[in-house]
Amino acid sequence: MKSAEDIKKYFQKSTLSTNSDRHEAIFETIQRAQDQSGTTEPAFNRFSFRSFIMKSPLVKISVAAVVIIACLIGLSFWRTTGSGIALADVLAQIEKVGAYRHQCNSTLTNLMEPNTPAKSHYTMLRSQKYGYKTVSDDPNDAVNYYSIQEKAGFIIRPKQKEYERIDFPGDKLTSLAQSQYNYYAGEIVKKILGCKYESMGRSIVDGVEVEGFRTTDPNYASQKKPSQVDVRIWVDVKTQLPVRTEEHITKDKTIWDFITHDYRWDIPVDAADFKPVIPDDYTRTEKDFFYEFAKLKDITEEDAIQGLKLYADLSGHYPKIVNWFPKLQYQWSEFEKSETPAALRLKEELKGLSEDDKAKRLSDALMPMGRINGFYYWLRRQNKDRAYYGETVTPKDADKVLMRWKVSDKEYRVIFGDLHVETDTSEKLAELEAALPK
Amino acid sequence: MEDKLLIWKFKRGSRESLRRIYDKYHGNLLKLAIVLTGDMNNAEDVVQEVFIKFAQSAARFGLSGSLKSYLITSTLNCVRNRRRDDLRHRTQNLNEIEDLPSMARRPEQWAVLSEELERLSCAMTCLPYEQREVVTLRMEADMTFRKIAGLQKTSISTVHGRYRYGIEKLRSLLNSEVKV
Repeated sequence: MKSAEDIKKYFQKSTLSTNSDRHEAIFETIQRAQDQSGTTEPAFNRFSFRSFIMKSPLVKISVAAVVIIACLIGLSFWRTTGSGIALADVLAQIEKVGAYRHQCNSTLTNLMEPNTPAKSHYTMLRSQKYGYKTVSDDPNDAVNYYSIQEKAGFIIRPKQKEYERIDFPGDKLTSLAQSQYNYYAGEIVKKILGCKYESMGRSIVDGVEVEGFRTTDPNYASQKKPSQVDVRIWVDVKTQLPVRTEEHITKDKTIWDFITHDYRWDIPVDAADFKPVIPDDYTRTEKDFFYEFAKLKDITEEDAIQGLKLYADLSGHYPKIVNWFPKLQYQWSEFEKSETPAALRLKEELKGLSEDDKAKRLSDALMPMGRINGFYYWLRRQNKDRAYYGETVTPKDADKVLMRWKVSDKEYRVIFGDLHVETDTSEKLAELEAALPK
Repeated sequence: MEDKLLIWKFKRGSRESLRRIYDKYHGNLLKLAIVLTGDMNNAEDVVQEVFIKFAQSAARFGLSGSLKSYLITSTLNCVRNRRRDDLRHRTQNLNEIEDLPSMARRPEQWAVLSEELERLSCAMTCLPYEQREVVTLRMEADMTFRKIAGLQKTSISTVHGRYRYGIEKLRSLLNSEVKV
């Protein structure tokens, strides 16, 4: 029971967060399905104002009067707010700019631990043509590049001396960069435009005459509605480009404060600004699901040998390659027709068992084979110059290399066909491999 | 009560209620599908398919139980159907597969998984599918053994056995992660 509770806790800790752009795209598809089903409500009831108004001279005069009064009120409002800026024009101005740079201050506060907020400060450089990058003030923090020319994103981690490359096939990165291009300025404007907002009038920010706009509309966040939203943007009245933005959003137990400032608009940039600088001694890593799993199990050379032995015992030979994944139901089919003593014993054990018990027994019996895969995968991730010759080497080949990997500049660990293990020099390994059947 | 109102509006063609249902349940269903399939891309397709079918069903939609249970069952059926199709069309020997593609990232992946969820879904793929289903429905959807037995068309004692065995296996797979 205790273990079930622990697993339950593990399930609860296992969470995911969704990418809002993709989330919206998927919903659009779902929405289309609803529309095509012909069940959606009309966008609005088409009440004909024109025919209603034109039916009666009295109504005609009343409506004309209302329109004139409304225009006068609107004009008065326009003058008294001092507003001369339309947010839609701000968006158009941002989209005309080739490249810009700004500073970002981000503070994430977990209300369960309000005294230890996560703070970061970084500079963001964005270009329609080349992509974008972020550089933190802290030299130990990761630097992110999204290079349209390289068609890849890079995360460089100086502290760990490693980097991650994420490839974007086709023009995926171009569209990503374009959609992200306006994010902290244009995207904020777009989102405010979709909400109820108000002008805060004119003021001076960073020595620039600006007009401010503010929304507290919870619709600002497209997904789950936050409990509190306060978003402000200040726009240069001359250039109609943002000078500062502030987002303050409270959702569940988290407060997110994000401030952008110190904008430099339409600055000159070239491809070199977006070319990732990766020192030679940095290693490439990937946040890899199987690598994590292999690490989790701490699979060792001995585990791999046990897995190989089990495979050979059941089939009489080694797996041709070891990059397969241990899906148990398929693995058993590999051995079902085998006549080796181990396979016959296992088949005998399975006789008369219910499907469930059979699955359990197979799961127990075949589980160790998964370790070959995990171990081999780990070698690849560690750039250990691995090789495997299961296609030609059999359990009878005591002097032939079955698997090998590098352990130092001059030495390799070698598992032979009879599963004994040696550490050999590169030269010796070259001789052994030369003797392998072609 | 909120779900009943949403369904009432949804049946009358409300876009807003579909949106609210989607926002409310997509995360749960996606997690469920990831754990059941062990495959991020497949899970995304499953959840999308479930919502598309749901969106198309407004006119004939009738619901006696809870909306959440209905969507969970739809997800489960969709995973089973895809699994059946996959098995039917599988001609490739696993020894020929270079690397498992299941968690390969799509350029625009819908969800980012926590490390725990990545590990959990990986460990779950080592369980026979029926056990995976029982453990997931019990742990993630808080479903009763009786209900799971109904879904699996088997006895409660078989479901108990699958659950017990699945938990033990999962615990051994996650032994360095789960505090005992």
